Amino acid sequence: MEVPKINDGTSKAGDWRNYKRVLLPPVRDLHKLEVYEQNGGYSALRAVLNENKFDPKGLGEHVKQSGLRGRGGAAFNTGLKWSFMPPVDPDVPRFLCCNGDESEPGTFKDRQLFEYNPHLVIEGMVLANYAISAKACYIYIRGEYASWIDHFQKAVDEAYAKGYIGENILGSGFSTDIVVHKGAGAYICGEETSLMESLEGKRGYPRVKPPFPAQKGIWARPTTINNVETLACVPLIVNKGADWFAATGAEKHPGPVLYGISGHVNKPGVYEFPTGMLITDLIDEVCGGMRGGKKLKALVPGGSSTPVLTAEQCIGTTMDADSLREAGSMLGTAGMLVMDEDTNMVSFLRRITHFYHHESCGQCTPCREGTGWLEKLVTRIDEGEGNFRDLDLLLDLCDQIEGRTICALADAAAWPVRWTIRRFRPEFEAKCKPSTFAGADLGDGASTEPAPVS
Amino acid sequence: MASSSPEPLYVPGEEPARHFGPDDLVWTAEEQQTIDGWVAQYPTADGAVMKVLWLAQEKFAWLPAEVIEFVADTLDLPRAKVFGVATFYTQYYKQEMGKWVLDVCTCFSCQLCGGYDILHYLEDQLGIKKGETTQDGMFSIQEVECLGACGSAPMLQVTNGPYVHNLTPAKCDTLLANLREGKLPGFESVTLPQDEAELDGNRRSDAEVIEQYVTPPVSATIE
Repeated sequence: MEVPKINDGTSKAGDWRNYKRVLLPPVRDLHKLEVYEQNGGYSALRAVLNENKFDPKGLGEHVKQSGLRGRGGAAFNTGLKWSFMPPVDPDVPRFLCCNGDESEPGTFKDRQLFEYNPHLVIEGMVLANYAISAKACYIYIRGEYASWIDHFQKAVDEAYAKGYIGENILGSGFSTDIVVHKGAGAYICGEETSLMESLEGKRGYPRVKPPFPAQKGIWARPTTINNVETLACVPLIVNKGADWFAATGAEKHPGPVLYGISGHVNKPGVYEFPTGMLITDLIDEVCGGMRGGKKLKALVPGGSSTPVLTAEQCIGTTMDADSLREAGSMLGTAGMLVMDEDTNMVSFLRRITHFYHHESCGQCTPCREGTGWLEKLVTRIDEGEGNFRDLDLLLDLCDQIEGRTICALADAAAWPVRWTIRRFRPEFEAKCKPSTFAGADLGDGASTEPAPVS
Repeated sequence: MASSSPEPLYVPGEEPARHFGPDDLVWTAEEQQTIDGWVAQYPTADGAVMKVLWLAQEKFAWLPAEVIEFVADTLDLPRAKVFGVATFYTQYYKQEMGKWVLDVCTCFSCQLCGGYDILHYLEDQLGIKKGETTQDGMFSIQEVECLGACGSAPMLQVTNGPYVHNLTPAKCDTLLANLREGKLPGFESVTLPQDEAELDGNRRSDAEVIEQYVTPPVSATIE
């Protein structure tokens, strides 16, 4: 019997052309508290805290039923993640972390939430704090977003003044705090345990898991960590119901999602649509087609670490975890990079390997050394000094790096190399010098140190 | 940058050069109050170290060894620990920078949309290479990793502050002229494409500058 294919070319986003935006609804000045309140803001919080719509456990259960999956890259069920928190012990404080580090190249969606709808994020944080009985939520925003940190801090201050955060929220007896933490420029701090180290005022070295954050997170206390966009979905689930959320977009990966589309399209930017949009719809209709009427060559569906797709692989593929897995990639952060037919894939990969080499924290040897070698080898090929056997050496190097480190940065560095070479090998070969037989020292420099990277 | 590591802050056996004296290394009452507020936000004082380093960098423009020691002493933390934090994060300046630091993004979205064109254009205009500072101490150029504004590429950030989106050579000229006069660019709010149809443009009435998404330029150089 033939297994039915997930990617049969139909959109899972339903009637997306008439989709009404909910994460970034079309309301002018929604970032102001009074405008947010006029448009139903903080009603989910009131319903939960004042009208007893849910107890903490019930709220977690409701979010689990909605099928909300993390928007930070791993697409893990959010309600299930919350349920990993140990039973409440009044003597042990518990924390929520909100990951606003957003440093994955190609990703720029959370910034729009900070700019245009910060109170939705704040409401989601307070609700999540309630669901997991957390004492405080620390939101970690990357240091480069200095302007948006100011915007968000202002929104937090307003919410404190109005009693939506702090002691005895809305007279319900529930108290919780929100602290905005400013990063200082380190990609690795988007990794959950590294973020926690950074919050504690240390160098951002990822921790060995287990213990997982739910057992020992920040300051060795039970901690849950969620992405900004994930938490922004929580008030919507409370207001509109888990059934509404589950019915939006792709069945196994539902909900609204912010697609950050960049690269060679006519109208790049952040778009809100349900999950399960056809990639071709996004490019051709939503973004107004390819720049200059060129043909699509390759596409990175969800940030730099997700494997690159060829134009053929994009056809019929939708933007949800299952469909992209079948196509040979991942949804990641839904930060799409579109590349047209003139793109030089070797130079593209060279820049990615440079990024991972620069951002490796240096804690694990395979990553610290391996990312450097990836960059050196790809640079050598890009400069026309590479050999055919370098391609297999690169793939072998990926095997030596993947899964051998504490965190996933090494995997994220190896995947683009592996899949770009596999899917665009002729282009790499065209830049390589031929070698007559593999493994011999032909005096071609392969056995000596390559020239330093400029 | 892997290829241009900064000069070491300490040379073993040598007393590091001092740039600020004991009279400079004091917080005002207001700053001290802010710091105390930050310390109260975390279970231990360690949590506030990044914020205090930011404050120190605003006050002293960069973080030489004595400023790092000063931050450590303020929070009563081991100096080595604060030194470790300050050297881990790229946005803390461990060497003296120009008055305006131009952080040009060249990560892949910007690369494919002409980030290197902008970087080379600025290098030519200022007569310096990335990682260098002009003789008059006005400008430094750095090539940086993704700044999270891929939809409005190519772009840059000025001294860890405002973003400048959708760069063109003309826009770079204006930026440099304004910075020479001491005018920092205002907050550029980038319109969401969907808002153009539904909200008739940008939704923030308090934005200082409105930028719309534009079709990215064809890049001449990508390395």
